[in-house]
Parts: sequence; structure tokens; C-alpha cells
Amino acid sequence: MRAITMPSARLLMLCALLAGSVRAELPSDSEHGPQVASLAVPASKHWVWVNDFVFPHMSDGMAYLVDGDSGRYLGTLSTGYSFAHLLLSRDGKVIYSPETYFSRGTRGTRTDVVTLYDPGKLTPIGEIVIPPKRSSNLPMIANNVLTDDDRFLLIYNFNPAQSVTVVDTKLRKFVREIETPGCALVYPTGPRSFFSVCGDGSLSLVNLDDEGAAQQKRTEPLFDLAADPVTEKAVRIGPVWYFVSFAGRIYPLNADPQHAVVGKSWWLTTDAERKDGWRPGGVQQLAVNAKESRLYAIMHRGGVETHKDPGKDVWAFDVSTRQRVQQFALKNLASSIQLSTDAHPLLYSIFIDSTDLDIYDAASGKLLRSVDHIGTTPTVMVTP
Amino acid sequence: MKWLDALSENTARTLARRTSRRSVLAGLGSFLLGVTAVPLLPVARGADTAPAGGAPKADPGDPSSCDYWRHCAIDGFLCGCCGGSQSACPPGTDMSPVTWVGTCHNPSDGKDYVISYNDCCGKSACGRCFCNRNEGDTALFQPGQSNDYNWCSGNAKANIPYHCSTARIVGSAK
Repeated sequence: MRAITMPSARLLMLCALLAGSVRAELPSDSEHGPQVASLAVPASKHWVWVNDFVFPHMSDGMAYLVDGDSGRYLGTLSTGYSFAHLLLSRDGKVIYSPETYFSRGTRGTRTDVVTLYDPGKLTPIGEIVIPPKRSSNLPMIANNVLTDDDRFLLIYNFNPAQSVTVVDTKLRKFVREIETPGCALVYPTGPRSFFSVCGDGSLSLVNLDDEGAAQQKRTEPLFDLAADPVTEKAVRIGPVWYFVSFAGRIYPLNADPQHAVVGKSWWLTTDAERKDGWRPGGVQQLAVNAKESRLYAIMHRGGVETHKDPGKDVWAFDVSTRQRVQQFALKNLASSIQLSTDAHPLLYSIFIDSTDLDIYDAASGKLLRSVDHIGTTPTVMVTP
Repeated sequence: MKWLDALSENTARTLARRTSRRSVLAGLGSFLLGVTAVPLLPVARGADTAPAGGAPKADPGDPSSCDYWRHCAIDGFLCGCCGGSQSACPPGTDMSPVTWVGTCHNPSDGKDYVISYNDCCGKSACGRCFCNRNEGDTALFQPGQSNDYNWCSGNAKANIPYHCSTARIVGSAK
């Protein structure tokens, strides 16, 4: 850049003085003391939380809030070691975050907590100590869930014994740990019930009472986990959980507190497309528009062991007709997609190895905007 | 580094098919029964250090390379790039006794070996020489076959913090 000469500098100063003489002075920012932004409560339906386990520095888990309408970055939560994801209460009044800390950073006493955050201020407002057993794994939505009435928060444990921690959100206290031997993750089926999927393809159906006490029963094997296993990345519309296999076959699991039945399976792909290598992939590879019974999948072409690979195509299906009703190409590779829950949903897309958040109009597939540099290794997204 | 590297936390395969730590170790024991009693190469043990002067000819290749024969089922940062070796953890870390395994072919002697990918725990991720081979991976429902679990979980001395992975010979596979 060319250096400003002294005459030019004087000219600039003169201009500044003249400008100051005809305009009112800007008010001092310091008159009101320190200022901190706050957020509307409840959150806009077009806001999205991007969760990040920060793989290179896992003690520093984070979550980022972005406004899908403007692309504006709204705020951050710091969420501890091996972070999975936030849970948003249905009334929008509190954010729950299962977190792990060590008394000396990466060593010392391990303490697991559920931190409660004020959604307007993004500050901690409470903490519930839980058993230090949270599963450390590639984050899944099924790591932590709320029951359908938000009364209980369920957290999957792996140390490597498998169990589920039950937290009472009303009393804000740890209730109990439910042993789920051989069964993983948590999928709610009602206000007082959930299931875990077991290693032989059966389910453990768990019912809670108002005090959080549990009754369990095991189903017969419902999934064949040998030939073409289903992923953990199931999505839910009403009473039906849609599981997808590595090859792209949808298994609709109709589950209530006492029963679970797998309905007729169907493919995301035609025979020709499968032959051509098309299959779903990614971390959060499925998303739903529950109001319109639409299921969205990230698709790519690849071999049998590419079930976690990202894709640049999104295909949408009407689950009632099992027909593909829409498909569009993404601007960038995606390993995770999520939809807003309003009548005019946005589709959010992000890639764990490239941190630009892309925001689409879900109905048209049109790219609306991109927001760069969202985190380090973004995993799953949650929307209010 | 391919994109999937960032996805895979550190664990590809473990012997654990059951649920408790005790039964996991029992599973390890039962699995070892299937391994020949006379290993063709030395069985690595926790206190081993890297052999001076590099690997012997019977153990060909570069242990800091993802292509090294023992890495056929590894998923994590290679401890040889982090101050340890293919059989020893870096200083100050703790070797997880729970592990996942692969069966790898040694091109030098033409034998298949059971390789134990013990994690080294207690420090933040090393971040060097990530190596991931995803063959046979399945969902978290089957922990023994899922590469998405962190097997430093439950380590008595260093619970959760994952640093790197070793590739230790257990014995020849029959």
C-alpha cells in the first residue's frame, strides 16, 4: 500500500474536522457500561444449533447457534469433553447439555453433568451431576434424548458396560441408571418410554413410571445386523422410527411402550441406481419434515464400506407412498443435514471436514446462503 | 487425510461383544484360545519399547505409515508418530487393556497375524499420522465391530482422553 504523504494526511484531518462540525457526535459506547447481547426466547424456528465434538481437541466441545434466515452467527456454548449434542426443551425455556469434565483438563477426577443453559443469555443456570459414564463415541442424535413430554432426559452410557442414565428435568436431579446389557443408544417412544437396539438385532423396550423407575422387556430380533446392517441414524415421524441400512433400505419400526414391529421395508434406490453404487452416507444422513411425512437422505455413489461417506445429493421421499418426490444437488459435500420444524422448512447442510454451513429452501432445494467457519468438526445439528 | 479420518474417533474393532468390562475381558480370553500357542513373531506387551534400529526384516514396512501391514484394521493416530511405537504407548500415557483387533497378512512370511490395536490414553489427541481402514465396521449396536467408540472409555487410570493407537501382535491367526 502506498504511504500517505504528509499533505494527504493533513487533508484527511481537515476533512474529518469539517465532517465533525456538521454531524452530531456518535454517542459513547461506554456510557451504559459493559454490554452483552441476548437472544429472543423462544428461539426462532429458523435457528439451528451446530454441535461440534472438536475431534483434535476433544476437551473443548462446542455448540454454535446460527440464524438460518440471515446467516448470522448468534452465539456459542462451551460443552466439555467428548461432547455429543444439545437438547432443546419443547417450550424453548431451557437448553440441556450432557457434558464431561476432568478436574485437571484431561486428567484428574472425571465429572459428568447435565448443564442447563438459559436460551436467551446462553449462560449456565443449573447443573445436575450424573454418573461419569457418558458414552464417548462419534456423536449421534440417539446418544441423548428427551422423553416425549420432556420430563426425563435419557443419556446412553458406555464404559464399556452399557446403561442409560435417567434425569428428572422437573426435579432437576439424577434419578437412576438403567442397565441395558448388550443394547445401545436411546430412542424415545412416548412420554415414559424408549428403546435401545441390541447387538442381536432385538430391542430393549423400557417403560418408566413418574418416578423414573423402569421396566424392561426384550423383543425378538427385528433387524438383521449381519448382512446389511441398519445404522444408528434413525429418524422419527410420529410413532415410526425409520432406520436405514448401509445399502439404503428403509426399515420402518413402529414402536410403542409395549410393542415394536418392523413394517414392510423399501429402498431409497432403484435396482439400477444400486447397481450404479448409489447409497446413503454421512454422520446425520437422514432428516425429516414430519408435517409432510418427508424423509431426506444424503446420497452418494460408493462401495459397500462407504456408509459414512459424505454426499453431494439430497433425495427426498414421501414415506407414505415410499416414492421419491424430490432430489437436488448440494453446493458442497455434506455429512449432516437437518430441517427446521416450521411450515416452510430450511434444510441445513454441513460437512465434518469442511465447516461451511449451507442453508437451503427445503421445498425447492435452492441454496439461500452459506455461513463460513462454523467450528472444527461439526457433527449433528438440532433445531427448535 | 481423507475426510473419513476426522470421523473415526479411534476405535475400529474390539473383542468386546458383551456388556460389562469383565465380560469384555472374558471375551478377549476366549478369543485368544483361537490363537496359536506359539506366535511366529513376539507377542507385544505393555512395557515393550520400540526395537532399536527399526523393525526387523521379518516385520517389514514403516510403522509410521498407514500402509504398514499391521495397520490393516487400525483406526486412530499411530503411536509411532507420537513418541511411542507400534507396540508401545508414548511416555506418560496409559495403555487401555480393552482393545479391538484385526487379522493382518504379513507379506514377509506369508502368515496372517491377530493384531491388537490397544489405545493409549490420558492425553489429548496426538493428531499425527491418522490411519483409518473401515472394513467390516458396523453400527454402535455391536460394539465389538463398530469403529465409532472410544475405547479409552472405562480405563482405570485415564478414563476417556484418547491419544493414539498401537498395533501389537497377539499371535498368528489360524
